Amino acid sequence: MANENVLTVENLAVTLDGAPILRDVSFTLREGEALAVIGPNGAGKTVLFRALLELLPHEGMVRWRPGVKRGYVPQRFSVDRSAPITAMEFFLLKSTRFWRPSAQFIEHLDHELGAVGLTREVLKKNLGELSGGETQRLLIAWALLQHPEVLLLDEPTAGVDTGFEDSIYALLHRVQMERGTTLLLISHDLNVVYRYAQRVLCVNRTVVCQGTPVETLNQDALAALYGESGYYRHEHEAGH
Amino acid sequence: MLVGIASGSIGPFILLRRMALVGDALSHVALPGIALALIYGIDPFYGVIVFLIAAAFLVFWLEARSRVPPDAIVGLLFTASLAIGILMLPSADVIESLFGAFPVLSVPFLVLILCTAAILAGLCFLLARRFLFRIVSPDLAKVEGVGRAYDLALLLIFAMIVALGIKLVGTLLMGALTIIPASIAKNLSRSMRRYIITSAVLGGAISVAGVWLAGAFRLLPGPAIVLLGIALFLVSLPVVRRRAA
Repeated sequence: MANENVLTVENLAVTLDGAPILRDVSFTLREGEALAVIGPNGAGKTVLFRALLELLPHEGMVRWRPGVKRGYVPQRFSVDRSAPITAMEFFLLKSTRFWRPSAQFIEHLDHELGAVGLTREVLKKNLGELSGGETQRLLIAWALLQHPEVLLLDEPTAGVDTGFEDSIYALLHRVQMERGTTLLLISHDLNVVYRYAQRVLCVNRTVVCQGTPVETLNQDALAALYGESGYYRHEHEAGH
Repeated sequence: MLVGIASGSIGPFILLRRMALVGDALSHVALPGIALALIYGIDPFYGVIVFLIAAAFLVFWLEARSRVPPDAIVGLLFTASLAIGILMLPSADVIESLFGAFPVLSVPFLVLILCTAAILAGLCFLLARRFLFRIVSPDLAKVEGVGRAYDLALLLIFAMIVALGIKLVGTLLMGALTIIPASIAKNLSRSMRRYIITSAVLGGAISVAGVWLAGAFRLLPGPAIVLLGIALFLVSLPVVRRRAA
């Protein structure tokens, strides 16, 4: 079972409104690993995630292991502030008993809230009243709730302070180790990638590089990925 | 009262989806249905049902095509249907179709309407979690297996409730019967579960009180219900302001 592929992607291409966003994306996600997706803004990372989750039409093959349980933490999440929806009810969306949740569900919920450093108090709050950090923790707890085998995280620490960022990644790392959860995460922070990811996938409209962070993320690869290569080449040519 | 409860139950979802005006427009579509049914000598109720269900599918189809602003198209299409409906209706029936009347119903038909209203209200409660899921985050809902089919289900239930309500308050004001209880309840509720229940109770209460007022003062029931609801809405405003403070 070890290192069996949870997800296989071959020649994935996404076109939105006639504009090609992604092409020739091929990679695999192995069971139990943390794979970080990096790339500049507008490189199509979020589009890639949405295509993997069948939220966007795409060409090519996206094959999940049959029956695999997925959790998704989207990058942007906003609810109409005036909508009277409590955090508790947000969790109840995942319960089969929306009107009368089971004690077991509540217990499980307490457990996951504790894991992300939230207390029960937060459940009474309105979704629109939560701070950015609380919302982010809530989303992670929400995704963890039914112990997914794969967790897709789209910049899980966007817009939160650095201390919190460390604690979230430490938490995700613990989940990966303790529950054997496979992580697929988008990150801007190369330190995070070095520290927590076993493999990295560099995306800029297509796959630019992939492999272990130490082998893959050399100066040339980063320059190529983040676009400084054009600048360097230009300098070289000027020098000739 | 059951019709009121059904309207109140679906209202929160329509309001939170920002479809209040789509609902209003939807109720106007019923008018050509009424007209055609009268011309061919069928009970107008069936004309209304057919037209509304067709309209629900149309709105659903338009929603999927976000390239075109759907509200503009919906607005155009449905005012057009209002205009056509008015031209086609025999003038004696216009007022009744627009503003409702005390329905004179045979007993089996009444039972049918009551059962339908009860079933529709029940469905709203049963599917509340899925409807809410689609509102909070369509993406997360889809990942968890709650797909667009539930958007269609919501529209169809809404269309059926509108069809029932038209009997009571008429096409022009039916949109209001779903929106008003939900708007009042929204001011009073802090959680979604409370919100839906409050809205359903208010829908029933306003309908009964409105019909009673209309009977007592010899008014048309539609305007009586709507004005009573709006008065209650104004009363509920200070509550929301106090909460925000």
